This record gives sequence, C-alpha cells and structure tokens, in this order.
Amino acid sequence: MRLTVKITLAVLLGVALIFSAYSYFSIQREREQIKKNLSREARHIGESLRYIVTELWQQRGEEVAINFLKKANHEYTQTLVRWVWIEGDIPQQFQPRVPIDQLDDLLNEETVALLAGAPDGGDFLLTYLPLLTEDDRIGAIELSESMDEMHDYVQESLRHSAIVIGASIGSALLFMGVLGSIWIDRPMRKLRAQAERIGSGDFTTSVNLPGGGEIAELSSTIERMRGQLAEAREAEQLANNEKIEALEKLRHAERLATLGQLSAGIAHELGTPLNVIAGRAKLIRSVEMEPDDVSRSATIIGEQADRMTGIMRQLLSFARRGESQKQAVDLNMVLRGLQPLLEPIARERGIALVIHEAEQPLSIFVDPAQLQQVLLNLTLNGIQAMPDGGDITLTSGHPATVDVPDNLESRDTNWACLQVCDQGIGIDPETLRQIFDPFFTTKDIGQGTGLGLSIAHGIIEEHGGWIEVNSTPGEGSCFSVYLPETTSGEPA
Amino acid sequence: MEAVCLDIHPHILLAEDDPELLELLTIVLLRAGYQVTGCDNGLQLQEQLEQVESYDLVISDLRMPALTGLEVLESQLSNPYCPPFICMTAFGDEKTHATAKRLGAMATIDKPFDLDNMIELVQMTFSGENSNKYLRGVDHV
Repeated sequence: MRLTVKITLAVLLGVALIFSAYSYFSIQREREQIKKNLSREARHIGESLRYIVTELWQQRGEEVAINFLKKANHEYTQTLVRWVWIEGDIPQQFQPRVPIDQLDDLLNEETVALLAGAPDGGDFLLTYLPLLTEDDRIGAIELSESMDEMHDYVQESLRHSAIVIGASIGSALLFMGVLGSIWIDRPMRKLRAQAERIGSGDFTTSVNLPGGGEIAELSSTIERMRGQLAEAREAEQLANNEKIEALEKLRHAERLATLGQLSAGIAHELGTPLNVIAGRAKLIRSVEMEPDDVSRSATIIGEQADRMTGIMRQLLSFARRGESQKQAVDLNMVLRGLQPLLEPIARERGIALVIHEAEQPLSIFVDPAQLQQVLLNLTLNGIQAMPDGGDITLTSGHPATVDVPDNLESRDTNWACLQVCDQGIGIDPETLRQIFDPFFTTKDIGQGTGLGLSIAHGIIEEHGGWIEVNSTPGEGSCFSVYLPETTSGEPA
Repeated sequence: MEAVCLDIHPHILLAEDDPELLELLTIVLLRAGYQVTGCDNGLQLQEQLEQVESYDLVISDLRMPALTGLEVLESQLSNPYCPPFICMTAFGDEKTHATAKRLGAMATIDKPFDLDNMIELVQMTFSGENSNKYLRGVDHV
C-alpha cells in the first residue's frame, strides 16, 4: 500500500501545484482586467463630470461646481466623487486621499489612477482628473471606487479553485486507492505471500497473475523459480534417500560379515550343549536309569537349552536389520551382551576375553545394535591382530582426560568411554593414518571388506562421539570410543 | 587280580573342558564298561599321558584351555607307547581333520555327535588286535 500512497501523493502534489499556479495566474489576470475595466469606467465618468464641472465652474462659480460633485454622490454610491485641491493651502475637506507627492502627474494635467488602502482596511481605486481653474489653481475630481467588490470576486475565484483542487485530490485519492489496490497492492500481496511460502520451503502452491505487465512478469519469474527449486529439492531428497538406503545396506552387509566371523565360534558354542542335550535324552531313554539320575539329566537338558537360547538371542538381536532405534542403555549391559558372542571365537584363537565394567552404570543414548556392531568390529579386529593369543580387554568407564575433537561441541558433556585393547601386532603409523578410510584394509583378499572401521567411525559420529586409536607396533592397539553420557532418557 | 581286571575294562583318558559334556561322556563310557579318567584341560591331559602309561585310549576335545588337543597330540608323536586318540571338535573343517590325521589321530568326530556312534567307535578300537598301530590314522567323520 505504501508504494501506491507514495505514487498517489507525488502525482497529486504535482497536479495541485500546477492547478494552483494556473488558478493564481488566472486570478491575477482577472484582477488586472477588472482593475483596468474599473479604471476605464471611472475615467469615462470622470471625463463627463470634468466637462460638466468645467462648464458649471465657468458659468456659475466654484461653489456650485463643487456642490454639484457632492450631489452626484447622493444617487450613486458605488463610486464616490469629490473635489480636491492639489496646490496651495488645502482645507481638510478638499485634501486628496493619498499624499500629494503621489499625484505629481496632475500638475502636468495628466489623469492619475492608483490603488490606495483606506485606514479601515478596504482598497480603493482612485482616479484623479486634473482641472485648471480660472485662477490658475490646479484641482482635481477624485473618483474613489471601493475594490471590495473585486476582492469579493477574487475571494470567490479562490474558493472555487480551492474547491476544485480539493475535489480533484479527493477523487484522485479515491481512484488511485481503488485502482492501486486492484492493480498493485493485491498482486503484490499475493507475490509476497508466495515468496514467503517458497522461502519457508513450501513449493506446492502455484501463483500465476494474469496480464502482461511487470507484475505478471514477476509472477511468472517467481513461478519458474518455484518449479526449479521444487525440482532441485526433489532431486536432493531422492539422492539423500538413496544415500541413506545405500549406507543402511552397507551397514547391514558389514553386520552380516561380522556375523560370519562369529559363526564358527557360535557353532562350537552350540555344538557342545547340543551334544549334552542329545546324550542326556538318550540316557533318560535307557531303562536302567535311577529316578534321581533322570531328574538330574532333565535339569541339565533344561540348562543347556537355556544356554543355547541365550546365544541364539544375542545372535538374532545382532543380525536383525531394523530402523535405527536410539534408546538410553547402560554401557555395562552392552559389554555384557557381547560376551557370549565373542567368548567362543576368542577361546578358539587361544585369546582371553577380559571385561572390566565401570562400577556405576553408564547411561548413553544409542542404537544398541549399532553400538554392538562397532564393538564387535573393534574386538574382532583385535582378535585377528593376535595370532599368538593374549588378552583382549574391553573396558567401560569415564575417561580421566578427554581431548574433544574440534568439530564437536563439548559444552558440559560428560563423556563415557569404551576401550578395546589388544596385545596384538599393533598398527604402523602409515596404516594408522588411513585406518578409518573406506575400503582400506590390510587383510588378505576375501578376509575383510575394508569397511568395518569406516562404518564404525560413521556410527559413532552419528551418535555424537568419536573414536581414538593408540597403537604401538609389536605391543598392541587400543581403540577408545567416546560417547556423550545422558542423565535422563533424552539425547545429550 | 587287578591286572586281569584292567584287561577286561580298558582304561580311557577323557579330556573335555565343558563340565557337562565331560560328565555325560564319563557316565556313558562307564556304563559301556570302560574305566574313565577325566581332565578338563590340555595341560592336565599331557601330564596324565606322560606320568601314567596305562591308558588304552584317549578321547580329547581339540579346543581346550592351556593346551589344545592338537598340541598334546603333536607332543606325543615321539612317544611309541602313546594310546590311540579320538578327537572331538565343533570346528570340524577339513583343515582341522587333516591336521589331526597327520598328527596321528585315529579318528576325529564332529560335535554334536551321537553317543551310540561314539561307543561303537570306541568298541571298534578295542575289537582289533594290536589296536594301537593298526587303528591310528583312521579318519572317522
């Protein structure tokens, strides 16, 4: 609306100025014209009077002539006629209305016309016609005509002009208001709303203004922009979805690869209880069993079945692919859950799995399956790095000192730490630099995807943490996983 | 009298780290009429073999704490009086079988196995004459 108002005001100001100037000059001209007419009229009357007065003066004397002039005023009051003296000792009653020095031309016997203000405020047009009396004294017939009429006329003209200007401004304002609203404000409001919608990311509404003006052009430009932005966003979303899907597939593949590594150990772990169960069942079937022995065998069968169920549950919960579900979990519980999965493979390789749990529960907000994946990966790497056996130690706790990476906001976060330390061959500095790079592997072809640590890195980063590695070739490596600790069930 | 008794009841040395399986196998072998001595790790197995030479058969798990079954088997290569070995494994890949056979194991059986089959295998071991030399190297899968 402001634009319309500005344009309207500018246009109206111009119109008003032009109109005012025109009126002013018109009135001035009319005023001059009226003055001229009045002056001519006065002079005309004056000429006639002078002739009569001259005649009267010559034939009947001064007094009669002057009285005649006085009488002339009785009938016609618009124009007052007086006798005035210009020279000599002038009595009060024959004094001209204006100072004598303004009437010098009379001395040359020329007619003088001038405007004079009266003490009461009115204007007068004064016309003096000189008359040389018989005693060679110069007098004059003074015709004074009030200009009130002319002023009234001018006032009227002014009022008319003012009314016309006012009416013009009023109607122009009305027109401009209505038309401005239709032509400018409404389309502008629509375009602004559309721009705001696009700005806020809503590309669904289409706005097309009819016509071929600048606003319609702007509208179609915005419409084109909307289309392009919507396409770009759609493409971006599609690419993003594909990326997420691919990442999810990759993680699942890696999880299955880990599962493959674990399976030999799990088979061993299941083989023994299965053997016991089958054997005990056979014992029960045989006739010579004492009732007590049957009962004991049944108990053992139950226990072995539970043992197998536990292993199966761990394996299934790990293998199951699902949406990422973050929840508050105790880090110690995660460690404990890993034990049955890792114990068999560690034992197979002659490696002791040592788990040091923190004394207090460590609550973290994570997807347990993903964290398990990371820890399994790190531990299996450690196991593979120890061909000659040794201890692999998993520790949970609060780190003594934390060196938070620059890209993370540390704020007042309490960090929980999980360490996987092996006594293996260690990692040389060159390898250490590339250790989290995708597809980087030191294992033989077919032994590793080269994605495990890269995926582990990604998972921990997604959880707002990071992984550190310390390694001494020949002595072993230590991977530390840092995660923000939560006090409640909410993400830190 | 005691020596006669020993002849009638062959003495089997059983090595298995899982206590339940050890107990079960002991029961089954006892019921089948054998004398059984159990041990739950490789080191104990090796000590038994070095100190006592009266065992007629060794049944051993391959994966055990301290020393694996294969390591014990390897250590007995130079022992001419070493009793025949039956190996048990849950990691029954070909490589393990081949290694056990190379080291002189009479048979290698995969867990889980049928107890009757195992008893049959044990009985087969004792049914032949000069069992030791003859039977070593049979791979029973």
